[in-house]
Amino acid sequence: MERPQNSVVRTPPNSTAVQRRSKSKSYRQSYRSCLGAASRLGLTPGLTARRLNSSRRALKSHIITEKVNPDHLALLVKREWRLSYITPLHQFRHTQLKRYSRQLSAFIAAEKQQGVAVEVEGSQSGFRVSFSVVQGLAATDDDAETVLIQIFSRPVFAKQDEPQKSVWSGWLTCINGNPEYLQSLPKGFTSLPLFGGSGAEVLTSLVKSWFQQTFDCCFGPLEINHTSLQWLAALWTNCHTESNLQHLKMIWTLPVVPPLQITYTINPQDAWELWMSVRKDRLEKTEDEEEAGSIDIEEVMRFVQGLKSHFYRHFRLDLSAGNLNQVSTALGSAKFSGKIKISNSRYMITTLTLLTECALLKMPV
Amino acid sequence: MAATINMSDSERSSPNDQSVSSRSSNRSLRVAEKERRKNEAEDPFVLALKYFSDVEAGTPVYGNDDFERNLVLVEKVAYSRGLPPEAISIMLEFAMSLRMGSAPCVRVLKCLIPATVVPQEAVVRAVVWLGVGKIPISTQVLFIKWVLTIFDMIDTKDQLRAIYGFIFSYVTEENLVSLIHCFFAVRVFRVRKLLELQSKLGRQPFLLHLLSLYKVFCPELVTLSIPSRMRSGFRNHISPWKSALIAVQKRNGSQIASSMGLAFTTMDKTSSRKRKHCHLEFPALRPVVNKEAPTDQSSGRKMVPLVQLHSFAELLENMHRIELPAQMGSLLGSSLALQYLDCVQDESALLRLNFWLGYTLHEEFLFCGDGGATQNSEEALQFLNKLLSAHHFLQEGFSSSEAFLYKFLNVWDGSLLRPQILGLLSNIPVVPSSQIGRLLSEPLMQLFFTSSLFFKCGLMECLNSMLLKWLTWHSVYALEDDLDISLNSHTSINMTLSGFKDSVMELVRFVGRLASVGLQIEGCHSLFLSFVLDFYETVCDTFLKYGLPLVVMPPSGVFYPALLATDPISVDRLAYIMHRYKVNLTSAKAQEKQTKQAFHISRQTFHEFNHYVVVMVSCLWNSKMFQPGLDVQLGEELLLKSNVPQFWTSFDLIHHPAFMSYAVDFHQKCWPGKKDMDLSSIKHSKPWSWYLEYLFTQGYDGLKQFAQSNISRQLTAGDGQGDTQQR
Repeated sequence: MERPQNSVVRTPPNSTAVQRRSKSKSYRQSYRSCLGAASRLGLTPGLTARRLNSSRRALKSHIITEKVNPDHLALLVKREWRLSYITPLHQFRHTQLKRYSRQLSAFIAAEKQQGVAVEVEGSQSGFRVSFSVVQGLAATDDDAETVLIQIFSRPVFAKQDEPQKSVWSGWLTCINGNPEYLQSLPKGFTSLPLFGGSGAEVLTSLVKSWFQQTFDCCFGPLEINHTSLQWLAALWTNCHTESNLQHLKMIWTLPVVPPLQITYTINPQDAWELWMSVRKDRLEKTEDEEEAGSIDIEEVMRFVQGLKSHFYRHFRLDLSAGNLNQVSTALGSAKFSGKIKISNSRYMITTLTLLTECALLKMPV
Repeated sequence: MAATINMSDSERSSPNDQSVSSRSSNRSLRVAEKERRKNEAEDPFVLALKYFSDVEAGTPVYGNDDFERNLVLVEKVAYSRGLPPEAISIMLEFAMSLRMGSAPCVRVLKCLIPATVVPQEAVVRAVVWLGVGKIPISTQVLFIKWVLTIFDMIDTKDQLRAIYGFIFSYVTEENLVSLIHCFFAVRVFRVRKLLELQSKLGRQPFLLHLLSLYKVFCPELVTLSIPSRMRSGFRNHISPWKSALIAVQKRNGSQIASSMGLAFTTMDKTSSRKRKHCHLEFPALRPVVNKEAPTDQSSGRKMVPLVQLHSFAELLENMHRIELPAQMGSLLGSSLALQYLDCVQDESALLRLNFWLGYTLHEEFLFCGDGGATQNSEEALQFLNKLLSAHHFLQEGFSSSEAFLYKFLNVWDGSLLRPQILGLLSNIPVVPSSQIGRLLSEPLMQLFFTSSLFFKCGLMECLNSMLLKWLTWHSVYALEDDLDISLNSHTSINMTLSGFKDSVMELVRFVGRLASVGLQIEGCHSLFLSFVLDFYETVCDTFLKYGLPLVVMPPSGVFYPALLATDPISVDRLAYIMHRYKVNLTSAKAQEKQTKQAFHISRQTFHEFNHYVVVMVSCLWNSKMFQPGLDVQLGEELLLKSNVPQFWTSFDLIHHPAFMSYAVDFHQKCWPGKKDMDLSSIKHSKPWSWYLEYLFTQGYDGLKQFAQSNISRQLTAGDGQGDTQQR
């Protein structure tokens, strides 16, 4: 019987074997597995379930007004953004923003009037798009600079000389993105995993599809889950002394028939005291400022548990059975459906860090 | 409008054409025969052509019998066999020069059906005649339509390209606009002109099509979105010749060259309908808009976007300079692109593909709150089927679908899109043995024990094909001389041979456990048993077929149900499997001795094998069931209580429930007169060997091979005496 090649037996080192090796190598190379410790995408979704950080820095009032263009900041705050996550952009260049502006405006014009071709270089379109970099928002060297997109248009019945009004704006950002993940991306990819848009839904979807076609990326809705909302509640409460919360409002839904929605508004001072009682242990124990500044998930859970049991004492309703749907304070508001409003630019970085983390968790590879 | 007049004109005359063509096709045989009989000099066709090339300008048409006769002849040939190149040249020259006025022009143009190729010369000359300007507009349109139809049959196109600017000028002649799609150089000023024209004429389908071609070839110049109810812009203009051309080419046995395919298919895709959550669409093939200019220029190669290629031959020709499309996901939607994907080495391109695929699968099956996949199962089905066929084509799964599966298995109900999910599962690459438990075994075990028999069979088949693929990868990629084999998909992870062996072993053991319990739960269902035996047919040959020095025996939970099965096929297959085990083990042992380099199949394995063989032989051949030392033991008293006479014979080849009917049949054939049936009489030496022969002739090759390799019969002995070969 013919004996097949066996890897134990040393085959003579002839040229064909060498060739085969190189062929097989290059072929195999083409399909990356998600397994194995040495995988270049260090975060292997199949194996290591990425989780939210269990500990994070307290919201510090970053004085980003010094670093970031105040006009840009003004655009980012006090507006409700609908969030999405985006897979890394391919061949995105921060230096080509002018060109992208032209292309996107031509794209929007073409989509708006189906079936009429639009010249890219011409600027006859009714929409003007501007891409700009928000310098200074990035927190680490791995973070790509935030990109701001605005779409202007002249109202239909406007006079000729009336200036164009901003009808849509949006941004792509990455703040304190997981360095392991960001560094694992090959050259040519830019990770700006968090996208927020505000304005007509039609324009949002046009912008998205232009990005998809141009940078081969994908957009998916990013909801702010239960845990993240609790984090935000705690982080915002933590800032009360520096900047008045005015109120801490949480909206819970309970799965009963008919569905029950509970708006739970807490006096900021009470919330602060509860939070301090949770934090007391840590603050007493450590002298180290670093240590004192960080907050653990356990503390957040204890804080929320305190709020829940308070509610239970009064109304005999256990909120643990329900879902936290919305959190709002004077510093901002966040909804489960993925809408966020940041009202105070001083605490923007930490909030965006949390959201960037959520977005990176959604990455498929 | 001239265009409409022209269209109706051509329609009016088309029935006539058809009748001519059908008549001529009926006659084509006779014509051909006639031709063969005559020799070249007096060939009427050659004479006819001579007439047209020599006819003097100003010869009247009406009442000219010579002209009529010759033209009919040419038409006949054209519609039956097509015209040779030189005939095309002559006739085109004749028509376009208007030597006999414009009247015969249309008729001649209509019969210009090329048999092979069209000389470029002829076309260029005709274009020159266009410039003279005496030709009526409708005829000009007809001519350009003709050029479009036969465009792919023009032998060379360099000069035509040179005069494209001239042809393009006809775009201003509004009736001709529709036709200039020939793929020449795209220039900015032409786009401008078209855009101007668009603003003048509005949304004309032909303009849109022309512009959309520009979009394909020069995406940075023009942006356009095609409305979904877009009609085809060019196609209907070509009909006068197309059918005749196809008929002629069919007759001549050549393939019709499709020139229009590409642009239109891409458009069909873009216009597909949208739904609210449309994750499940393959993106359209689009060229990249923002090119990476510097590197390409330095290497001096002009890149060809994949969108512009539409045949495998073109793909091969341009292999070295293909530019990837804007969205990598689009490669999965086209079979040609898939061919190319097989050769793509670019890591980041594949990463893009994986991002898209992973995103799509996650959004549709994992993240969707509203039960996405269950709601649009038809689309999900088609999507997964396409993905599967891509997997099969590439003979490998994508890592993103692998990662997706590990998550999805934990939430799967085992019935949603079962064949597709199992298909994807069978494509996953080798999993390190330490991970198999967590990633595969745990979720699969849960599904397995809570699902129907049908699912159990499906999963067994899936695991079998997974094992087959792993083994095949091993045998293809591990033919190298060191122990390290780059088996895992990523180069940075070299799986060692022992690592691979561990993985296979883990998988086989896992399936063994599943099979044992599954057989118990399902009452040794023979359908399920058959899938289990399929799996072990793969396992028993790992050494000889795939060169993997590993032999794993089935657990007794599989062995005994097969041995005691009520259908003879299962017993036969078990015998075959045992035979293959034996062949594998002996050759492994021989090799071990020969090379002095042990890979050590453990003593335990040999022991298990021998034990099984002893059981089989003593049960089937030697009628020694329930003897001490075998696995199946029952208390003596219990056996006596059962009142089964000679219980030790109850599973030999005569009394085995699977073979009883054969024994009865044999008995009747052997002793036809005998009234009382005594099956035990078969056990005597002579009838026993006849009986075995009889069984083997019934197609039980497994038993036959098993007997040949394991049983040495001592003919002298009174009753069938078996002996197992011990090592």
